[in-house]
Amino acid sequence: MSDSWRSETEEIHQRRRWAEEHGGPEAVAAHHAAGRSTIRERISTLVDEGSFQEISALTGQGRYDSGKVQRVQPAPYIMGLARIDGRDVALGGEDFTIRGGASWGSERRKGGQGGFIEDLAFNYRIPLVNLIDGAGGSVASIKRRGHAVFPGVHGFERSVELLGIVPVASAVMGVAAGGPAGRAVLSHFSVMVKGTSQIFAAGPPVVERSMGIKLSREELGGAKIAVDGGGTIDNVAESEQEALEMVRRFLSFMPQNVWELPPRHACDDPVERGDEELLGIVPKHRRTPYNMRRVIELIVDRGSAFELQPTFGKSVITSLARLDGRPVGVIANNPMIYGGAMDHKAARKQIHFTELCDTFHIPIVFLVDQPGFMVGPQAEMAGTLREGMRAVYVGAKATVPIVTVVIRKCYGMAGMAACDKAGLNFKVAWPSAEIGNLPVEGGVRAAFRREIESAEDPAARQVEIEDELRALASPFRMAEAFAVEDMIDPRETRAYLCRVLAAAESRLKTTLGPKFQSGVRP
Amino acid sequence: MAKTEVKSEITGAVWKILVKPGDVVGVDEPVIILESMKMEIPVLAIDGGKVTEILVKEGEAVNEGQTVAIVEV
Repeated sequence: MSDSWRSETEEIHQRRRWAEEHGGPEAVAAHHAAGRSTIRERISTLVDEGSFQEISALTGQGRYDSGKVQRVQPAPYIMGLARIDGRDVALGGEDFTIRGGASWGSERRKGGQGGFIEDLAFNYRIPLVNLIDGAGGSVASIKRRGHAVFPGVHGFERSVELLGIVPVASAVMGVAAGGPAGRAVLSHFSVMVKGTSQIFAAGPPVVERSMGIKLSREELGGAKIAVDGGGTIDNVAESEQEALEMVRRFLSFMPQNVWELPPRHACDDPVERGDEELLGIVPKHRRTPYNMRRVIELIVDRGSAFELQPTFGKSVITSLARLDGRPVGVIANNPMIYGGAMDHKAARKQIHFTELCDTFHIPIVFLVDQPGFMVGPQAEMAGTLREGMRAVYVGAKATVPIVTVVIRKCYGMAGMAACDKAGLNFKVAWPSAEIGNLPVEGGVRAAFRREIESAEDPAARQVEIEDELRALASPFRMAEAFAVEDMIDPRETRAYLCRVLAAAESRLKTTLGPKFQSGVRP
Repeated sequence: MAKTEVKSEITGAVWKILVKPGDVVGVDEPVIILESMKMEIPVLAIDGGKVTEILVKEGEAVNEGQTVAIVEV
């Protein structure tokens, strides 16, 4: 057997065992003590059992004695192929136990922007999962190279390209700054862990030095800031496990790439299910709000709704869900927050979600209760009109089937952002719908001023005119005039949407592939 | 006894105060109603307990994130 490769082969296994030791037992214990899992533990929690095929476990820095290897410190990035719900993904993440997951400066990168993992997802057309736990580059690299480099020597070109080709999900599992933070944002879905993960463009030392403000990492980039405040990251999870569960959940709605239809799941929720609760869910008193999340739950396949960005731009709800097993994107106004009015944050959220659905051929259902753009000096200062018109623009550019269900209000330009004017323009109304260019109350005084002022009792005349106009704005009259395409019993909503979206699947098949984008967003 | 703050998610004007100090509220029960964008929007107690303070008056303007009441859980 002396001519076999047994000893060299054994060395491969030995080197793999070293790789599995991360940064050594002390570093791993410290990491665990901070309430964090190692990257290998994270991967095994995320993927189908036994499906991880690591690539490049042998990469690292070898220590030799008389030409014989003593030990290899693994590269601080673990990656490879795995399966999630039986489907292949490319995934990888920084190993925080090895020099804090900082990039180590090999010629070819394993992970990070421009790394092998991005090429793997791109070339094989499979989703990419980033498990982010690193602070990016270090100024120390100047010393090693002997010269500075232009920003972007490892650029975001591939990260950007991926966003039009395959689903990209990022879980921020620790601190993310610099390049890793950039990649977390260059994702279709991002999640972070409450209390143990933070993200920022630059961390507390840089902020203190440049601005004189002393903040903890959590104060600067914890979930309260990054998710609820800035919308930098989409969702927050209570634990690492929940964050990884959200990644699985997100991917369950996505096709492997833009050349495929999103996966249809078996559905045991009857299509014809029409909950009685829907009949009375919208209060008759026009000023009383109601629970739009409940409306969504009652319509979509039971338990299928997965809300993205639930704590940001809260006047709109953006939820992936299923109807008869088919993925659908639900965009619903939330009357509990500013009556559902579109502010700059809600517009931003709606834009991102619309593009997500359009890119991956997921039809959109609007559940509309839209009084209009948010008004007032703060809203104007925040650029609501501009962000809102961008939502109108992006909606008009989308080519997936869009169905509009008017639950209550649908007014103005923001209302226009909730229908498929550039496509079939298919709108159905509940009996509670009230629709128009302007809400009746807002416009009556201006439009009928002379008539109101010359009346014996101007206030009474104004109410009279309002009632008269409101009667004309009835959805029944609109349905007669084919100004809405249909009126439906709220209990029929689920069955109606399932039927329509089943038919629309033929259309989806004709637009598979990357979508060409042109024009300038306002 | 932990104290929790009942915070408004929106900017608006206080339209009605539904409870007074000493009252007991349940989870997700409305504490006050704000008027905003022509809607009557309830501010809900996140935790159930005894109301110890009401920090706003009817007609007063309330900002997003402002604490409107304290509930002792």
